Formats: sequence, structure tokens, C-alpha cells
Amino acid sequence: MSDFNPTILAFCCNWCSYAGADLAGVSRLQMPPNVHVVRVMCSASVKGEYILKAISQGVDGVLVLGCHIGDCHYMTGNHRTAKRIPVVQKLLKDVGFDERRVRLDWVSAAEGEKFQRVITEFVEEIKGLGPNPVREVMS
Amino acid sequence: MSDLGKKLASIAFDELGADYLLAMREEHGNVAPVMLARGQDPGEIRLDVPYQLVNILSNIYPWLKDGKVAVVTRRCDEKALEEFFKRELFDPRRILKIGLACSKEQVAKCRCSDPVPAKTHIGEPQKAMEKDELSEKLMAMPPEERLRFWAYQFKKCNKCFACTLTCPVCFCDECILEEKTFVPEPGIPPGMSFHLIRAYHLADKCIECGECERSCPAEIPLLTLRKLLAKDVKEIFGFAPGDRKTVSPLLTVLEEGCNEC
Repeated sequence: MSDFNPTILAFCCNWCSYAGADLAGVSRLQMPPNVHVVRVMCSASVKGEYILKAISQGVDGVLVLGCHIGDCHYMTGNHRTAKRIPVVQKLLKDVGFDERRVRLDWVSAAEGEKFQRVITEFVEEIKGLGPNPVREVMS
Repeated sequence: MSDLGKKLASIAFDELGADYLLAMREEHGNVAPVMLARGQDPGEIRLDVPYQLVNILSNIYPWLKDGKVAVVTRRCDEKALEEFFKRELFDPRRILKIGLACSKEQVAKCRCSDPVPAKTHIGEPQKAMEKDELSEKLMAMPPEERLRFWAYQFKKCNKCFACTLTCPVCFCDECILEEKTFVPEPGIPPGMSFHLIRAYHLADKCIECGECERSCPAEIPLLTLRKLLAKDVKEIFGFAPGDRKTVSPLLTVLEEGCNEC
């Protein structure tokens, strides 16, 4: 599966993770180019619907990155995310997707290296899982 | 006037002191919901036809200026009503419940795990079904096979929206499933996102009445999908819908971890 290049969607919150991604870029940290970053104001504004739509349209993996618990710019935004993502993961598991295709992680603005690590790990994991089966089964 | 109608009318108007009665009635061989005022002939009341009368009630409630309504409620209707009360869509003082315990056949059909209403006026309370065969069979399958099963089921969908129209707890003003951002307008079947988004929306409020499955013309086992997710939500948060005192876990904050607020 070495020639499989996954498509990965990363929702990054404006205040922490996007700045973290910026820092990783400025620090010239190397990471796989499979990730499409979507900048959102808060990780809580990532509706479950966005993730479900992405997965059901054939995106191989979805990353949701937000501020650490307690550091949210909107006080308790990321609490909602932390409660929402497990439900989405379980739903995907129930219909037969691998729940590892959706991942939630916390990356602060100072953690450029963690951003790199999360991205690299996630891409490796998705490469191990193979392409999203939805295109094949729904066609 | 049938005995059943007489009995129901006496419970509603004499015992509970209601002004209206909402029940199912047979007319010319068809069964339909009917709203009766005090003193009207109830006719051929039918209680063996499962239907979410709460759904009808939510449609006519804005036009009911005053008066109390007695509704025939199974346990699932009761839970749906609680969801309405929780969101302050109904005034609890104006809705009176006539508890109906489901028959054994009905419990088996819904694979119902909670069939007995809080107060039973009519019917014999039956034992709950412990498990849903299809969901157990599905979860024992390897994931790829399960995905193929659901893909086959979802491909039967013709996007008639019967599941949303008959659902008693679908009460958003604007339905996200009608937005083309999420579900593209042309194209039947609507793809996987339609069903996944609907299941996700109902994760914290589905009362497992099975109305979606009954109304589905393509016979997609939607109730099984709801049951699977309800079980997960129960496992993660220990939350089950159908109680006006509990708050959905998706709307609350985490208990631990936040020191600043």
C-alpha cells in the first residue's frame, strides 16, 4: 500500500491549532502533504455533520484539532467537541467504518512539534487502514 | 358506540377531566388519528395500531388556544412528550396521558426494551425484550460486511422523508437534511450522509418508537440503527432520552479538567 496517498481533512481551531500549524510551518518541520487544513473559529463549530459528510463522500480520515481543555478561547467550546466526537466515532463504527478514521486531539499554539507528530502519526495510521471503503460499497 | 371508545372517553373526560381526546379511529376501513371534543361519539376506536400521536399533537398544538388534551400514550409516546416538555414546546399542564401498555406482539415487533408506561390505564403490562437480534448479528459481523449491509440498505432509500415526517422528536424548524450542503438535491438514493446525519441528530433524543422503520417504504431497518447508537450513547455518557429532568450530554460541559471557569 505504499502508493496509497490518503486524503485527510484537518479542522483546526483559529486560536490554538491553526497557530500551532503556522508555527510548524514557520519552524520548517517536515510532515506529509496529505492534509487539507480547514480553519474554523472553534473546534466546537465543527458539526458532527461535517465529519459524517466528509467520510460518506470518500475522505480517508478526519482530524479535529482544538485547544487543550481549559484553554478554549470561548471557555467551554472544546468541551462540546470532546463530547461530540465519541458519538460520531461510535456511529461510524456501527455502520461499519473504522472509528480510527476520525480523531480528536488537542494542539496549542506553542506546540508546532506536536502538530507535526499528530499529522505524521495520523497519516501513517490511515495508510495502514487503507482507502475509505465507501466509494466501493456505494457505487 | 363501541365499548373501547366508551371506556376511553370515560377515562379522558370523566377521570382525567380533559376537554379533548386524541386517539386512533377506524372509519370506512381506514385507521386515522382523530381529535374528539367532550360529548362527541368516539366511534370505532382502535388501540392496536401503533402510531405516534405526539407527532399529530405537535402539529395541532399551536392552534389549540386553551383546553386540556388527553392523548393515548404508549411508553414511547410518553418519552417523546418528555422531550417536548424538556424543550418547553408543550405546557405539561395541558397534556394528559392515558397510559396504554403495548401487547406482546407489538413489543416483539419493536424489540422494545421499555414497554410499560408510568401509569397504565388500558392493557396488560408485558415483559420487555432484552435484545435486538439484528443489531447483535450486525455487531458480530466483521466491519466490512457490516458496511456492505448498511450500504445495501441505504441504497434502497428513495429520499421520501417519511422517516423525518413521522418522527415525533424531529422538531427543528429548518431541517438540515433539506440543505443541499449536506444532502445534494438531485440524486436518488441520497447517499450515506443522509442516514448518518439523521442518526447523529437523533443520538441524544431518539425514543426508539420505531415509527421511522414502520413508515419506511423501502423497509430499511432504521430502528436497529437507532438502537445501536442509543446503546453507545448510554455506554459513553450513561444517558437515555425520555426524562425531562436530564440534560443531553452533548449540551453540557465536561466535569473535570477546566480550572478557569
